[in-house]
Amino acid sequence: MKTAAAWAILLLGMAYFILPLVGLVEFSLSMTRGEYSLEAYRVVFADPRFRDTFSYSVLMAVLTIVFGVVLVVPTAFWVRLKLPHWRPVIEFVTLLPLVIPAIVIVFGYIRLYNTSSWLPLTGTTSGTNLLLLFGYATLSLPYMYRAVDTGLRTIDVATLTEAAQSLGAGWGTILARVILPNVLVSVLSGAFVTFAIVMGEFTLAALLDRPAFGPYLQLMGANRAYEPFALATIAFIITWACMGLIQLVTRFTKHDKAPR
Amino acid sequence: MSYLELTHLEKRFGTLRVVKDFNLSVEKGEFISLLGPSGCGKTTVLRMVAGFETPTTGAITIAGKEVTDLKPNQRNIGMVFQAYALFPNLTVAQNVGFGLKVKGTPRAQIARRVEEMLALIGLPELGNRYPFQLSGGQQQRVALARALAPKPSVLLLDEPLSALDAKVRVSLRNEIRAIQRELGITTIFVTHDQEEALSMSDRVVVMHEGIADQVGTPFDIYNRPATRFVAGFVGTLNTLDAQVLDAATGRVRLGATEIDLARPLPPGAVTLGLRPEAVTLGQGTHDTRLTATIREVDFLGSVIRLRADLAGQPIAFDTFNNSHVAPPQVGTEVTLGLNAADLMVIGA
Repeated sequence: MKTAAAWAILLLGMAYFILPLVGLVEFSLSMTRGEYSLEAYRVVFADPRFRDTFSYSVLMAVLTIVFGVVLVVPTAFWVRLKLPHWRPVIEFVTLLPLVIPAIVIVFGYIRLYNTSSWLPLTGTTSGTNLLLLFGYATLSLPYMYRAVDTGLRTIDVATLTEAAQSLGAGWGTILARVILPNVLVSVLSGAFVTFAIVMGEFTLAALLDRPAFGPYLQLMGANRAYEPFALATIAFIITWACMGLIQLVTRFTKHDKAPR
Repeated sequence: MSYLELTHLEKRFGTLRVVKDFNLSVEKGEFISLLGPSGCGKTTVLRMVAGFETPTTGAITIAGKEVTDLKPNQRNIGMVFQAYALFPNLTVAQNVGFGLKVKGTPRAQIARRVEEMLALIGLPELGNRYPFQLSGGQQQRVALARALAPKPSVLLLDEPLSALDAKVRVSLRNEIRAIQRELGITTIFVTHDQEEALSMSDRVVVMHEGIADQVGTPFDIYNRPATRFVAGFVGTLNTLDAQVLDAATGRVRLGATEIDLARPLPPGAVTLGLRPEAVTLGQGTHDTRLTATIREVDFLGSVIRLRADLAGQPIAFDTFNNSHVAPPQVGTEVTLGLNAADLMVIGA
């Protein structure tokens, strides 16, 4: 009886999540009247704006990941090694993007870095791209920091660092050859989440007027019927692919962790 | 000047003085153990030598060069940790070659040295394994090979045997000592296990509350403890209060027996130390005879440990098991024999 109830709840939950997605995919295949086709997808892929915005967002996502790793890994490492009493403060700071809306961040950027400010980043395309990169890094900070910090928790950071130091390694070598390889799975988890966030982000890109995939999704949604559903399906596939990659990377890690 | 000199080392953490005026001279190729209970400052001394802690005052000199202010990666020191600290992402061979790679040693040379080190620790076929595929003893051997590969000037061992089971500990400590002798490398070994310290070391430093209470050979430390702490910490020691009858000649009364220690003593009362193995059941050929009452009999197999009451003071002693003679019963009055020369006068 209990098992049947559990199955019923599980099926209900699955239906709750899956049925809207089935509807989404089904509608995206219904562009040709009276039959299922990939017409909406063909139209989307043929649109040069899709290619431009998609490739722009992929590039920004990769740059954000690189910037995030360079910023977060040494920070989390240093906090764990030398400033453990600062951990609650750092964690609080990294959680702020979850409670401060992106629109607040972007208006702050525009106010601070507009063309009449002391650092007029919005005055040039590259400057605005840089601002967008910082914005994306801020939005992904809670996920990236948590992922890396969790990874660091699984290894004996202090002893491994001291062992490497006693063998002549400097900080750069320790980070690159000892710490980073041992938290790589966590870093990749954070990276994939960052990728998914950047690919779907709308507010920052729209208000900074950059040709990203998020604003393109919104534009298509406001003006077309079937294509937005095809785009939403593509966005879902990207997100799921990222999650699948996290699972794959975790499963096929070659080595085990050191005892804590 | 000795090869490794620690001069007036002191370390404070806030108001807490963990190491106080610590001095030690270590000759090249010597194996020194820092022995003491938890919190005595032995690991802090080792970490100061490694460069992981900066001394509040004092100086550290290696081969005539002061290294007190050098970073750990500039000191050319090899260290083995209690928790092995092998890099989990690297194979055994990569772990052993890590220090050489950091130094920029050519690849062929690294490969040769790694092979040499793996042969030295008796694991030549395990180069391609990852640390998690090794037992604790094997991991610690690899950690030793990794520390030795870059040819460090000093080897530091921070309780390297503590995480291993008893059998592996004994075999590995013999291996470590043999390798240390073969390479002639100056070594400092931190342990709280007196058996390890006494069996492995050329000299032992017994530490207590941040101070080196006594520095000496294992024989001296065990047989001539300089302080009450050393006497009590190293080995098992009976401490017996005696009344000084003649301070000049060293005549004392222990229970009902008068004993001539033949050395000058302070007047009044004195505490005498006596190792259990210096006492025998029955006087035998010993020069002093005492009478005691058996209170406890512990049968340990080849040895029987007896605890007796000697004029109100407890005394423990061992006797070998004899399958034809039963050990004395609890409550039996027995005669004990000892040589007066084995009685140590315990200082402060």
